[in-house]
Amino acid sequence: MNMFFNLIIKRFKTEPVRTLFVVVAIASVISVVLILEGFREGIYQQIRHMVISRGADVIVSQAGIKNMIASRSVLPQLSRMDVEEISGVIDAHPITTLPVIYNKDNRRTPVFILVFDTLGGPEVIEKGRSIKESREIVIDKSLSTIYGLQPGDDFIVSDFNFKVAGISKDTAAFFAPFAFATYDDLIDLYFESDIVGDLSTLPLLSFLLVKIEAGYEAEFIASEIESRIPAADAWLPNMLAENDVEMSRSMLGAVFQLMIIIAYIISVLVISLIMFSSIQNRKYELAVFKAMGFSFFRLASAVVVEVLLITLLAMPVASIMASVFSVIIHEAAPVYLLLVTEPGPLLRTLVASLSFALFGALLSFKSIAALEPVMAFRS
Amino acid sequence: MIRWSIKSIFTEGMSMLASVCGVAFSFLLVMFFSAMFSGESDRITAYPSKVNADVWVMQKGVANMHMAMSQLWDWKEDRVRAIDGVAAVESILYLNAVFNAGGRDWFTYIVGLTGRTEYSGPWSMHSGKRIPENGEVVIPEVLSRLTDMNIGDSVNIVDRQFTIVGLSAETFSMANSIVFVSYADLAEIMSSQGSVSYLMVRADESVAPAELVKRIGDQLDKVNVLTQDVFINNDHHMAMQMGVEIIAMMSVIGSALAVLIVGFTSHALISRRQRELAIAKALGFRNRDIYMSVLVLTMILTLSGFLLSILFTTLLFPLINQAVPAVSLKFTLESTLDTAVIAIMIAALAALWPARQVVKVDPLTVFHG
Repeated sequence: MNMFFNLIIKRFKTEPVRTLFVVVAIASVISVVLILEGFREGIYQQIRHMVISRGADVIVSQAGIKNMIASRSVLPQLSRMDVEEISGVIDAHPITTLPVIYNKDNRRTPVFILVFDTLGGPEVIEKGRSIKESREIVIDKSLSTIYGLQPGDDFIVSDFNFKVAGISKDTAAFFAPFAFATYDDLIDLYFESDIVGDLSTLPLLSFLLVKIEAGYEAEFIASEIESRIPAADAWLPNMLAENDVEMSRSMLGAVFQLMIIIAYIISVLVISLIMFSSIQNRKYELAVFKAMGFSFFRLASAVVVEVLLITLLAMPVASIMASVFSVIIHEAAPVYLLLVTEPGPLLRTLVASLSFALFGALLSFKSIAALEPVMAFRS
Repeated sequence: MIRWSIKSIFTEGMSMLASVCGVAFSFLLVMFFSAMFSGESDRITAYPSKVNADVWVMQKGVANMHMAMSQLWDWKEDRVRAIDGVAAVESILYLNAVFNAGGRDWFTYIVGLTGRTEYSGPWSMHSGKRIPENGEVVIPEVLSRLTDMNIGDSVNIVDRQFTIVGLSAETFSMANSIVFVSYADLAEIMSSQGSVSYLMVRADESVAPAELVKRIGDQLDKVNVLTQDVFINNDHHMAMQMGVEIIAMMSVIGSALAVLIVGFTSHALISRRQRELAIAKALGFRNRDIYMSVLVLTMILTLSGFLLSILFTTLLFPLINQAVPAVSLKFTLESTLDTAVIAIMIAALAALWPARQVVKVDPLTVFHG
């Protein structure tokens, strides 16, 4: 086997262009799998980030509501006061989420407006500034990219005219961008658009972001809130985030699984194509080995080693290709985040790719078996 | 030389088959994304399409249903009913919410049905009761299959427990299944007594929907009134636009893979047949003829892959729809034509590299040992 290994290495050295091409070809196929895996991971990460980056130690929702993204939660107005009375609670900051459809230039985009007061606003503002004046809004970068919006531009929703104060980064989740506005402007929006006459029917308090004193356990405060306020549920941010991730898994899991299977079928076909071609090119060489008495098993093992070696070489190249592609996609459409270098998916892809490479190599065994040793003596 | 290309394909059967299959699956990846968005866009508009109202009335500033929130005073329903040309009005309360069934969370449209339910309720039933009363829920039949829940079982919506009384057909979607409850239950969950989300108006024979839109708009303040076509189109268009970038991205990736596979196959074939090409050159065939033969080769490979991908989609998509009900795939002529254009470009691109090899072939190779 050592001889075959040396031969493979020697061939790599003597045919660098062909080796490079083969590695790039296999890397391209693996990079597609990494992109799909990264796309799925990105969706989950965006959801987690949107919940966790609100900056709370404990998040309070309407009883029975266990999701923050794309879920309507309505808390009683007095629940804020009740939460703040619990010892160990410093503040309970209100936030409300309002789904709207932004419509401009004949294009519609669902936007979650996150209305905040003292906590829960955008974490990173890439351009412009945070909200300082009335009727200002901070929008996600993807809205700026799609509609060409810049700080100072109008942003009209439900016939209410906001001015863009800033462009935030990493504030999209669930295929939809977020925008951030203040409570004063939400009340104005409700009044001016005359949505309905009774404000109490509209969501004014969706969640409470609770900050707790040092020395208190978040779990303890959460259970205190639940026992004292029956109309509310209290969550640690990572628990609420995981609930949202679970929901998106239910929605998208099957789709991604199907696409990844297709990508793996392509990789098997590409690898078998490459190995078939490689065996065809080296059939005289392999025939010589057969004439020298090497068994089919030994020759097949050599092909397997070669495939595994190429796949291992292709893996870092695939990661680089997928990373470059993910940056391009995120820049062009910031609503999508592709995490292509997460250790879990990377390892999963490596193991699956090696297995599929083996399968691809199996398809070429027929060509080896069909080789006649007498071929070695032909010109 | 063109005959040589065609003959080569048949003499290299296995390699060509693998290549054609590789191209087909690359196209399949592209078509899959497009079909998924198309299928989901159709499912997203299932409710308004089946309700088949002539005119929809909603909150000012709202123009669709998917991921939207609309609230109107319920007295506006009576005002609309009194307008000349209105044959019937039904209203619903509507909420996007997470529905927990079978230990899993499902993003759903929850529709709260008011007293009049001739056309606003489920349009097709698999089994059980069509209109839920307080504490009851009608869920999609597919959802019941996926979660092992059946009539008589309990499910949670927000903090309330409901008993499943009916299983509706054609109401399941990956992005938004439709669940029906009573108006009173949903109003309590939403703390929205006295308001409705949408009014669905049917016009009598004396008036066209567009005229009725105008009449309602003239008589009611602070509402948005749209014809059924415009309302559905808004939702469909938005759902497709949400997927535009991702479809484009997958098209680029799938196309790049197809170029790579076709290019590699042609390159491998030409490498193996350098002597034949050298003979052709020695016999006086011009580079132009040989280029053309390479182009024909790549064209045959690509188009065969394309046709095979159509065959796959025709056979596989209905099977996937059956086996994985969470996914809705819709094969459209538009996406096929888009892929066909891409296929032709791929064939031309993939021909470049092997063609360069052909130019380098030395006619003297024929005399080498």
